Amino acid sequence: MQRRQFLSLTLGALALSVVPASVRAEDFRKSKPTVWSAHKMDDAIQAMFGTTTTIEKGVKLKAANVSFDSATVATAANGGAIPLEFSTKIDAKTIAVFQDANPEAAVCAYSVTKYSVNEYSIKIKMGNPGTVKVIVEGTDGKLYSATQKLNVAKGGCEG
Amino acid sequence: MAGIKVKAKLKSGVVKVKAMAKHNMTTYNQAEKKTGNKDDANFITHISATCNGENVFDMSTSQFLSKNPIVKFKFKGDFKKGDKVLMSFEDRKGKTGKGKGKIK
Repeated sequence: MQRRQFLSLTLGALALSVVPASVRAEDFRKSKPTVWSAHKMDDAIQAMFGTTTTIEKGVKLKAANVSFDSATVATAANGGAIPLEFSTKIDAKTIAVFQDANPEAAVCAYSVTKYSVNEYSIKIKMGNPGTVKVIVEGTDGKLYSATQKLNVAKGGCEG
Repeated sequence: MAGIKVKAKLKSGVVKVKAMAKHNMTTYNQAEKKTGNKDDANFITHISATCNGENVFDMSTSQFLSKNPIVKFKFKGDFKKGDKVLMSFEDRKGKTGKGKGKIK
């Protein structure tokens, strides 16, 4: 009997550890599935936040290790791994990244925890030149954004 | 072995984490090219991190993260050197990967 209890306990613990995040924080894949299949940036933003109106301020976005052709357009040598850095001082609830170069628009979405310092860095793939947009949903319910135009020398999705 | 490498460093109250998940991150297009079946696409859909049982990082992702994606993030709170940062990911096929690192 004891052994059986032990078994069921371990199994339960295993089951818990397999789905670690969904019980604690919002999994946007499950709660907002339409975001991830949207093809247009605006559609994805609409699906994510319910509106596409954003305020262009308070968010910093930088594509690192790329050369700047002009003040606004950056060129990445390798579209397979473009480093993106973004940060915000806004009291944020959700942060999401979109781009309009790939077949689908959504890249990732963070649900901000109370321990978060909102400075992130990721590497993304882009098949074509396009625009990257970071949207921060503040705890005040407003959307703040930053955009960066990107050229890619080599497409990253054909690999 | 699917896994995730975690490095964490404490500096003036803020823990800086750099993590690399080992994963191919196949997009739908790549899968179609390789096997002719879009449904073979497999990529990480969710990454999360906990420290001392507290959820410190949570991210839903799509196929457009790079192969073996590196994510960097920061968190602060009542954490000290030697505490462990546990990270895990889940991919589209339901497979999970785990890793941990000590805060240095």
